[in-house]
Amino acid sequence: MAPDIARNTASQRSVEVLASKLRRRQLVGSRTTALETVLVLRQVVSKARFSNLEQLVDIIRNAGRKLVEAQPKEHSVGNTVRKVLHHIREEYHTATRGTSVVPTAPSYSIAKFVSQGQPRKQITAPKAESKGTIKEHDANDPDSFAKGLKPVLMEAIQDVLDELETVYDNISKNARDHIHSDEIILTLGMSKTVEAFLKAAAHHRNYTVIVAETAPSYDGREMAKSLSSAGISTFLVPDSSIYALMSRVNKVIIGAHAILANGGMFAITGSQIAATAARAHSTPVVVCAGQFKLTPLWNLYHEYGALDFGNPSDVLGFEEGDLVDKTDVVNPYYDYVRPELIDAYITNDGDHPPSSIYRLLKETYDDEDTEL
Amino acid sequence: METVTIRPPNVPLRDTISSKFDIYAAYQRILKNEEISTPLAAILALTELIENSDAGTMFELVKALNDGAAELRGRTTNPISLNAGCELFIAFVTLSTHNSTTFSSLKQELVRQGQNYAAEALTYRKKIAELAVGFIKDGSVILTHSYSRVVMQTLLLAHERKRISVFVTEARPRGLGIKTAEALTAAGVPSTVILDSAVAYVMEKVDFVLVGSEAVVESGGLINAVGSSQIAIIARAANKPFYALAESCKFHRLFPLSQYDLPTHNSNILSFSRPSQSKLSMPVTTPAVEFPKPIKELTDNELLNGSHKITQEQISKNNPDVDYTRPDLISLVFSDVGSLTPEGVSQYLVGMFSGSE
Repeated sequence: MAPDIARNTASQRSVEVLASKLRRRQLVGSRTTALETVLVLRQVVSKARFSNLEQLVDIIRNAGRKLVEAQPKEHSVGNTVRKVLHHIREEYHTATRGTSVVPTAPSYSIAKFVSQGQPRKQITAPKAESKGTIKEHDANDPDSFAKGLKPVLMEAIQDVLDELETVYDNISKNARDHIHSDEIILTLGMSKTVEAFLKAAAHHRNYTVIVAETAPSYDGREMAKSLSSAGISTFLVPDSSIYALMSRVNKVIIGAHAILANGGMFAITGSQIAATAARAHSTPVVVCAGQFKLTPLWNLYHEYGALDFGNPSDVLGFEEGDLVDKTDVVNPYYDYVRPELIDAYITNDGDHPPSSIYRLLKETYDDEDTEL
Repeated sequence: METVTIRPPNVPLRDTISSKFDIYAAYQRILKNEEISTPLAAILALTELIENSDAGTMFELVKALNDGAAELRGRTTNPISLNAGCELFIAFVTLSTHNSTTFSSLKQELVRQGQNYAAEALTYRKKIAELAVGFIKDGSVILTHSYSRVVMQTLLLAHERKRISVFVTEARPRGLGIKTAEALTAAGVPSTVILDSAVAYVMEKVDFVLVGSEAVVESGGLINAVGSSQIAIIARAANKPFYALAESCKFHRLFPLSQYDLPTHNSNILSFSRPSQSKLSMPVTTPAVEFPKPIKELTDNELLNGSHKITQEQISKNNPDVDYTRPDLISLVFSDVGSLTPEGVSQYLVGMFSGSE
């Protein structure tokens, strides 16, 4: 209800602040945006006043929609909102199970039977034991529902936050099982996830890394510097030699910006080259990405405009005055890589082939949240 | 002489007493409504069977349903989508938990559920159309095959919002593609009929292929009018996406390993014709050996009257109605439960029919 939202001006302000930061790109990068989103949502939920679940979901959805519209290319914002909604619904169902009168008679329709075919995640450790006193729509005390549920919701959101903060550790847990001694690994750009992964493996194995420069951002240079300072023998090569060196490479390990529902992904420019070259040499392509990058959206790759674009002057600077007039310079920041080119996704929740990303999505998010 | 009425040994007492409910007639009657697809008609026919049945236990009811389904199957030439509907309904009856107090109220509940589902399923085409339209870019050139109600609805919906143009294959021998093209042209969509053999010729101009389905099987493959598999292979060779539209009632627990594993395949299809009958039907009095004249020397009269002519009817009888498209050739399956990769379909089917929670 609108009055409830209007009353929470403090939380509204925090949403606005984050939205403007996203719009102005003061906040970039999937993990940082995801973290900020969780913090803002936590504030929104703690200050929210609601007397039933739909109101709370509405409040969160509205906040989420504003954030996603501010920067639609940062998919982890939307993903985090969806994850929070999913957790909230779970906690709500656990908390009210067996106590409140089920509002609608269990409708065993054939349609429900068909949709039961969807994979459901087993709720492992629900936070709330059945609290007997949660009443919805209590006219006398409209806040009782909220008061009863809030502590549980806060814990759920804290879970999401914890997951985000321990992403690098969880992914690097099994790094040494994926890299063998004396292997040559190819990587691209500067992905903190891949960096943590490779550094963790370096504790146990001796291997070499070839880093592609990744023009025009030249993030590869940072990656090479960081890896070599950790004692890993590193080669920095220009992007044009990716195909030429591929016959010597044992594995390609890259990061992702967002993982799409069909198992494909958005990754930094150059990933498509590396993946195609790897396929031509039958080299495995492994992607390290946190689960917050799973996006339940499909047809983004149809629109060329779905890719984010960087500053064209990085490619053709304004000093080339004549040329700038006569050419159209495009600097796509991300590539779309097809699921057929990827062999495995290493996430903080285990390793998965691209074909089961669809299943992971169904377990992590609820269907009704796909369109916020 | 005593007349003894002997009851045929295998017919249970019940059947001889109760009036025989002709499920096939009911099925035909329901199918007259153009909007209802075959699996839905099967489900509605089975609900009518429940209405008219006097089974007193669940076992009898399920047996009656299975018998009814078997009868429908036996009397249709292309039972695949019908099977899908029957299996879904029977699985629903047996696997889902019901909370009716008496058996008769349970039967009423089942009938009601069946009818509700059929009513709801008519909205599925719209849902699928909405889903698929998101994948259609402005200015797309679409290739479709034969006539499918779901595809028609999708194309018409897309036409309302974007500019599209459509190539339709003729889909011989039934020629249903012509029906599609006529309907599209009447609605203002630029469309044209192409020969089935011209699909490879036209594939480079096409942005993607959109087909309907008779059934989507457990492997994630597609069963559709004959020619779909060909189109899928050509689309894969030209790197074009191949999308299939299917309502969830068409998901079927079949796992064909080849084209000839389909229940619609029989020994008549693709059989070679017997040698000409004229030699055998000649009366004995004529000389025993008479070699048939070489074709060049036959007069036109003889050609027409003789048994060398192959009719269109013979061709359609000798050729399959449906074929199986492999899952690796299909990009996505759009259904009312969402857009699924072919692998996702098999997960669905396993979940649906194993009654797991």
